[in-house]
Amino acid sequence: MVIGSLSSCATLPVYKTAVANKQVSVPTALFAQSNFQLIQPQGMYYNIGLRKEDDGSYTALLLRCTHADNQLTPAGNNGYTCNLHGSQFDKEGHVTHGPAEHDLKKYPTQIVSNQIIINLS
Amino acid sequence: MQAKTFTLLLSFLFVSGSLFAQVTSEDSLNKNSLSTSSTTIGGYGDAFYQRNNNLGTSKVDLERFVLFTGHKFNDKVSFFSELEVEDAKVTGGESGGEVSVEQAYLKFNLNPNQYIVAGLIIPRIGILNENHLPNTFNGNERNYVETFIIPTTWRELGVGLFGSINGLPLNYSVGLMNGLNGSGFEHGDGLESGKFEGKNATANNLAVTASLQYYQGNFKAQLSGYYGGTVGESKRKADSLGLNSGIFGTPVALGEGDLQYAKGGFSARALATIVSIPDASNINRAFASNTPQTEYGAYLELAYDLLFLNKRPHEQQFIVFARDERFDMNYQIPSNGIYDGTLDQNHIVAGFSYLPNKNVIIKADVRFITTGKQNPDLIVNPNPAAVPYQVNNNLIDLGIGFSF
Repeated sequence: MVIGSLSSCATLPVYKTAVANKQVSVPTALFAQSNFQLIQPQGMYYNIGLRKEDDGSYTALLLRCTHADNQLTPAGNNGYTCNLHGSQFDKEGHVTHGPAEHDLKKYPTQIVSNQIIINLS
Repeated sequence: MQAKTFTLLLSFLFVSGSLFAQVTSEDSLNKNSLSTSSTTIGGYGDAFYQRNNNLGTSKVDLERFVLFTGHKFNDKVSFFSELEVEDAKVTGGESGGEVSVEQAYLKFNLNPNQYIVAGLIIPRIGILNENHLPNTFNGNERNYVETFIIPTTWRELGVGLFGSINGLPLNYSVGLMNGLNGSGFEHGDGLESGKFEGKNATANNLAVTASLQYYQGNFKAQLSGYYGGTVGESKRKADSLGLNSGIFGTPVALGEGDLQYAKGGFSARALATIVSIPDASNINRAFASNTPQTEYGAYLELAYDLLFLNKRPHEQQFIVFARDERFDMNYQIPSNGIYDGTLDQNHIVAGFSYLPNKNVIIKADVRFITTGKQNPDLIVNPNPAAVPYQVNNNLIDLGIGFSF
């Protein structure tokens, strides 16, 4: 069962997709029951956390720690965590605990024909 | 035993071969690559003043200064290291001070969810072993349970697989590394003196570790374990000492579970661990080290950030905390062991951590210590000038820390 928030998820919905022209396309229908999807673009070594905001927009964060480039893990209500040195980021990608000093990279998104387009460039 | 060793070696070579086989010139030109090669530096350190009220002594020490150096060859392969100086200065012929490599490993990303590390690695056991930067824990000193029961920054040479499971908030790790040195065990410091830490480790004896982490809501739960041999000598020598040799001969087993909670400005963490050395009597017979059969430790910490509601989030923090640490380093002893009540300890620690920003911390705390009684049988050469042992003591700590 997919529960509709990053904060309370018992499962983590994952969507695997290809990268075309440095863009990733995600169907908006995936957000019918959940406001969060973990996106796994083919050939990339980091996930993208894609979250539907209350105003209907989408926030795409590269889940790569800004301290030592380690992969991040979704941490329930508490955003994302890096197991390597303990850095933590909130669901908007802001650093909440060091040693990381910079917020997560945010990709621009747009909606085209019921597809969320994440621009990776 | 040789067959087992050979199988392990083959497995390692197979894994290594698979990894290196993945790195091709085509991959290095991967159109989805996020970054080119780069070298990074970082570090952490802490210094503090400590007043020991029973002894009437005070000290100030630059406890640790650690430099990180990392290099990213491409999105798949990177290197990471930590070089540590303890107590600021190392002088030949004098005790104290240490220069050591705390971590040095190659990291191979397999996919977004899995990576392999190989080299001098820190296994995921407990909370502090993996995340030991001073701005990630309260109190000037690392908690004693994760210092004396679970050795702090416990690293050995080996290979580890870290990953998460697609679709579930579950992380895992497994590792294979050199075992401990049973001949190095010393009374009163748990497993600490049995660590090789990358220096000429014996590899006849090995160890396996594993962990599981689960995230749910505001909770994070973890289980981890370690099982390894402590006799790296040849079979002939081990037999002459009356010790079981081989990969897991004369084993040490460690189990740990912890639970962390964070919501708003409130946080809590609880941890329990147990160490078992079933053949401790054989170790004592061979090395007269008064090694225990069972050790345990547990702690509970509650903390609250007083600035959470009053300041813009994530700027400054002023955390007040209290922690109860309970451990016994000789909870069970073998028939040839001598019980030492001073190793049965309860610590209450309370204080504050002020973070003017996320990577700088100013700490103050007081540690109230209660122990069992000293065993007169263990006082071989009493120092006439020594202060009589007291079961109650307290330490006052003031210090600073940083990481970047």
